[in-house]
Amino acid sequence: MLRTEHLSLAYGDKPVVDNVSLAIPEGGITCLLGPNGSGKSTLLKSFAGLLPPRSGQVFLDNRPVAQWDRRRLALRLAMLPQKPIVPVGIRVRDLIALGRFPHRKWWQRNLTTDDNVTIDAMAMTGVSDLAERPVEALSGGQQQRVWIAMALAQETDILLLDEPTTFLDWGYQLEVLELLSTLNRQHGLTVVMSLHDLNQAAQFADRVAVLADGQLDTIGSPAKVITESLVKRVFRVHTSITAGREGRPFCTGFAESAQSRPRQRPHCTTTY
Amino acid sequence: MTHPATTPNRASSPGSRPSGASPVARLFLAGGLGLAIVLVAGVQLGAINLSWAQVWAGLTGDGSEHVQRVIFELRLPRTLTGVLIGIHFALSGWLLQLLSRNPLAEAGILGISAGASLVAVVAFIIGDWLVSSTNPYDNTSFALQYLPLFAMAGGLVTALAVYFLGMRHGHLSPVKMTLTGAVIAGMLHALTTGALAFWGHAHTELVAQWLAGSLYGAEWQHLHTLLPWTLIGLASIALLVRPLEVMQLDDEHVCTLGLGLNRWRAFALLIATLLAASAVGVVGPVGFIGLLIPHISRRLAGANLPVQLVLCVLLGAVLAVLADLLGRTMFSPYEVPVGVVSAVLGVPFFLYLLSRQP
Repeated sequence: MLRTEHLSLAYGDKPVVDNVSLAIPEGGITCLLGPNGSGKSTLLKSFAGLLPPRSGQVFLDNRPVAQWDRRRLALRLAMLPQKPIVPVGIRVRDLIALGRFPHRKWWQRNLTTDDNVTIDAMAMTGVSDLAERPVEALSGGQQQRVWIAMALAQETDILLLDEPTTFLDWGYQLEVLELLSTLNRQHGLTVVMSLHDLNQAAQFADRVAVLADGQLDTIGSPAKVITESLVKRVFRVHTSITAGREGRPFCTGFAESAQSRPRQRPHCTTTY
Repeated sequence: MTHPATTPNRASSPGSRPSGASPVARLFLAGGLGLAIVLVAGVQLGAINLSWAQVWAGLTGDGSEHVQRVIFELRLPRTLTGVLIGIHFALSGWLLQLLSRNPLAEAGILGISAGASLVAVVAFIIGDWLVSSTNPYDNTSFALQYLPLFAMAGGLVTALAVYFLGMRHGHLSPVKMTLTGAVIAGMLHALTTGALAFWGHAHTELVAQWLAGSLYGAEWQHLHTLLPWTLIGLASIALLVRPLEVMQLDDEHVCTLGLGLNRWRAFALLIATLLAASAVGVVGPVGFIGLLIPHISRRLAGANLPVQLVLCVLLGAVLAVLADLLGRTMFSPYEVPVGVVSAVLGVPFFLYLLSRQP
């Protein structure tokens, strides 16, 4: 499966990821956590073979990702960038059909089997009713489901997502995470994503990897990793952590400067 | 010759959209009809207007010698050359806009036409000097068939420069590429004017007319020079359609779909440059067709690239022939070059598009 060994990454002269060794469990949901600039997105890009390592390696099936043929890699691994570009005027079904590209020779059009996969991907993500609509006209949450459908149409066993919830309101964030969780449980999809919300990571991930300043701080199950001392160390935030559903940790945080704030505030716990 | 207009998944969608295929057919029909009309008008109208009977007789070979000459030596080659340069500039603009994801990209704006013009003008001046210094009586139209090659060389060098200078952190930055292109285009224009002022005295008029983009005096020779490049361009684009669809996405997204972006982008840039520069080499830089036609095609066709492609071919030909026709009939016996007419038609539309940019 996917793993890194002593991986260091850099943009030009600027080192971003330093000596990270980790393994992504097959069929699980792995969340990358860490402050802004800690190297989450960069690490995801290197998983997808988009950034050649400065030193160390990323391995997929024990073979360096850099040695994979791009098209073969695209059959194993799909990635959803943070801010994907919507081609002007494209309809939902045509965008999702682009996910079939690696399954055909580059000059070939889609076949009936490809259309069926596209239709299935729309059904799985609940966008079938939007098939003929232009993507630009959809809401943020709907668009994100369309992008996930496109990645599903690619029929890979690994899906990488760079902050898939960032531009969505809270309801859509949970909707997207639940969709990914369902796809993981029902289809065995291996999901690797970067997230900013510790509680969402705690709620949906099987495994969290915490990055700080480009180095791997901790990796493990949410209950073991997300602790008051880690959150204080990595995010500079004081927290009180309680046990939430299924024994998963739940943090309430206070930025260092805001410690003295009153604690009588409304409190929501998400259910799914 | 062109790519099939409908794709399996689009063709199989009439269930959800009852009139799925027919609007496309109607667009093609309208475009084809428009082209037929301007073609006939291009042969019929001019310094002397021919009657229908004369055109028919001329085309079937029964006309008077005079009519035969007007049709076959003047108007038909000129009109057909117009068709080809319309296709060249429209497709070039379409490719450039797609590959840079920039709706304002075009051979003129990116400096490709200017680079092609500069090298062609210099080649013309040097060639003319060489020929006239060896044989002063044989300086008629210095090797027309070579000019497109020089123009293509100039266009390619410019395109490469703009492409690489337009990169940021190993990715093409559309804004940077457009700005670089505009600046380089300005510089090359200045150099062309300078070259003309210094060495071009003997031919200033001829070269100035060519620089305005003119179909004046287009002969079969022009057509023969262009046609191979038209065919190469069309065949390559037909193969490029699918990668081009994917290339509309974010760079990283494209790579994770298994497309080697740099290679395909370079190939598309090469085809776009060959199309524009070969046309520049024959008729001079004709602006705005490459900007206007892809925009109109996108409006009409939506995101369906094969349909956009066919519309670019049809409408590009229509605009070029129409602009030339207006240019040579409006102020007859004086001629306004096709580049001037297409710009006059194009500028208001361009400003309108700019005002609608988000």
